[in-house]
Amino acid sequence: MVFLGSCSSDDEEYVAIDEPLEFTVPSNFPEPSYDLEANPPTKFGFELGKKLFYDGQLSANGFISCGFCHEQRHAFTHHGHQFSHGIDDLEGTRNTPAIQNAAFMTEFTWDGATSHLDLFPIIPITNEVEMGETVTNVVNKLKADKEYQKDFSLAFEDGEINTENFLKALAQFMVMMVSADSKYDKYVRNEAGGDLTDQEKEGMELFEQKCSSCHSTDLFTDGSFRNNGLPPNPQLNDVGREEVSGSADDRYKFKVPSLRNVEKTAPYMHDGRFGTLMAVLDFYDSGVVDSSTLDPLLKQEERLGIALSLSEKEAIIAFLNTLTDNTYLNDERFSEY
Amino acid sequence: MKKYSLYTLALSILLFVSCSSDDDGTTEELTGSGEISIKYDNGFNGNDLILNTPNSANENGEVITVTRFNYIVSNFRLVNEEGEEFVYPKDESYFIVSQETEEDNIVLPGIPAGKYTTLKFGIGVDQEKYLQGSEGQGDFLAEAEANNMMWSWQAGYKFLNFEGSFTSESVTEPTDFKIHMGSHGSSLDNYKEVTLELPTSVIVSDEIDSSIHLKIDASKILVSSNNIKLSEKSVIMVDEEKSPQIAVNTTEMFVVDHVHNGESHD
Ligand code: HEC
Ligand code: HEC
Repeated sequence: MVFLGSCSSDDEEYVAIDEPLEFTVPSNFPEPSYDLEANPPTKFGFELGKKLFYDGQLSANGFISCGFCHEQRHAFTHHGHQFSHGIDDLEGTRNTPAIQNAAFMTEFTWDGATSHLDLFPIIPITNEVEMGETVTNVVNKLKADKEYQKDFSLAFEDGEINTENFLKALAQFMVMMVSADSKYDKYVRNEAGGDLTDQEKEGMELFEQKCSSCHSTDLFTDGSFRNNGLPPNPQLNDVGREEVSGSADDRYKFKVPSLRNVEKTAPYMHDGRFGTLMAVLDFYDSGVVDSSTLDPLLKQEERLGIALSLSEKEAIIAFLNTLTDNTYLNDERFSEY
Repeated sequence: MKKYSLYTLALSILLFVSCSSDDDGTTEELTGSGEISIKYDNGFNGNDLILNTPNSANENGEVITVTRFNYIVSNFRLVNEEGEEFVYPKDESYFIVSQETEEDNIVLPGIPAGKYTTLKFGIGVDQEKYLQGSEGQGDFLAEAEANNMMWSWQAGYKFLNFEGSFTSESVTEPTDFKIHMGSHGSSLDNYKEVTLELPTSVIVSDEIDSSIHLKIDASKILVSSNNIKLSEKSVIMVDEEKSPQIAVNTTEMFVVDHVHNGESHD
């Protein structure tokens, strides 16, 4: 048996050396779920992932990139769009969630259509209303591109342009997208700039009492699928997790979203039905509807939903606004230009 | 790749001399490693499976025309006469059998010399493999996509893609059916394993490559331990009740027809 060492590419010679990127787990976060050893982020892998993220070639018409729907200023959501529109302006039926702290998540999309970040891009690329492509085709397009030939050879030891390295590069980019520098983070870590106002503190206490059983940990989600009592929209009839599991017990259950940067991610909920945080809190207070899969936490003491006075709602919103992380929203490492 | 030294040759002659004869006729010591190929000979209820051609009615009175019959087989293992299990390297142990492209012969090189009595393999992709992400899938992902074995709305594999049309007493116009079976995200694991006892041991060594000929009865997908009537539901993709039943039926479609020692099929 002969093992060939990493053979130098035959046509050109590069002197650039790749280097590992440091991934720091914020002290108030749980351990990452992503296996960083299987795909350790590197300088060039990350750069390649970023380039791919913003490249329209990943779609059939050449225009729709991941970044088209996931805009940094809005914590990588599709601002102003209830339903993200993609290829040929076809409209999907789901609201674009934020991309942040993906390395700490175990399920992706509103219904958990995949449990591995690496494999996630297959969904938008092959979805006929999003990018309308095949992964194989995308890889072939990249293979024909001189620049990408160079980028892949720098980023990966085997230098190959294939699905494995393509998905690894995109994942390296998303793994590095950590948001943990909001005013709230500074408060819990006792760092400078972490002084909460009385109203924000009151909001935090209310949040801990009424919201944190689902929006738990400093990721503000427990990663589970739950029905929070939204009245189903008969025109969409989106059954949520049932779509993936095939189980009627999962009807209308959606992934509990993280609330980081929530000030910037309107509209809200899986179908983007609410335009403001006040509308969300009005819903929790008085809009929750009963059904067989309604989460028991929202049906206590014969009352549906979560009782909230106006001043309590205002305090919770003031607290949620402390989750805005301007460092993340303006971080040039992640920006398109 | 096949080379043996004079020393092993001498040794085998020596052994040949010392142990006189063996029941199955192989008299020399088995050394080194060899190749086992496994032929997946697709059929339908005792006949050949011919795409786009109606088969005779099944137990439920349904006349089925198959247009696509693809499945994933994986995690090959062989148990020898001493009961020791050889696990084929996991990373190289995922294959697609496709009636459309006539990919039906799986070749496993580098099997340690020996006599094996039992063949084991999986149908589909286990969660362990899936959760290895991009690294674990390697080129298999592209192969699966090319063979219509990837779902697009969930980033998962179809373990079985069985499509066509059918008629029955109640459904007189030819109606399309689609059976896509795979795991349901993280909530339902439909990966299953098959264990097949071989009628005669399969033998491999430096000098001997052999093959196992399996006969597959695709009609079992619908009619086996579980009875699935297409007239009740003709598109089955993620069905909490029927998908696991189909997964079980699928494990029952494999029968060993025969073993060829000392020759490979293709
Ligand atoms: C047409 C708009 C659109 C495009 C293009 C798009 N996405 Fe998305 N993205 C969405 C929507 C909508 C969802 C939610 C899907 C669902 O729940 O079914 C989503 C979900 C996600 C999620 C899961 C977030 C979570 O917390 O669950 C990630 C990660 C993601 N997209 C990354 C990408 C990448 C990488 C690309 C490019 C390969 C991409 N997206 C292209 C609209 C888009
Ligand atoms: C029983 C669990 C549960 C409780 C308790 C809960 N939520 Fe939620 N929350 C969810 C789920 C599930 C969703 C997503 C629902 C959907 O889109 O269908 C959600 C969505 C949201 C959203 C929309 C986020 C986005 O990005 O679209 C906000 C904001 C929110 N919740 C705030 C709160 C607040 C504030 C409280 C406490 C007053 C609270 N939630 C209590 C489960 C819960």
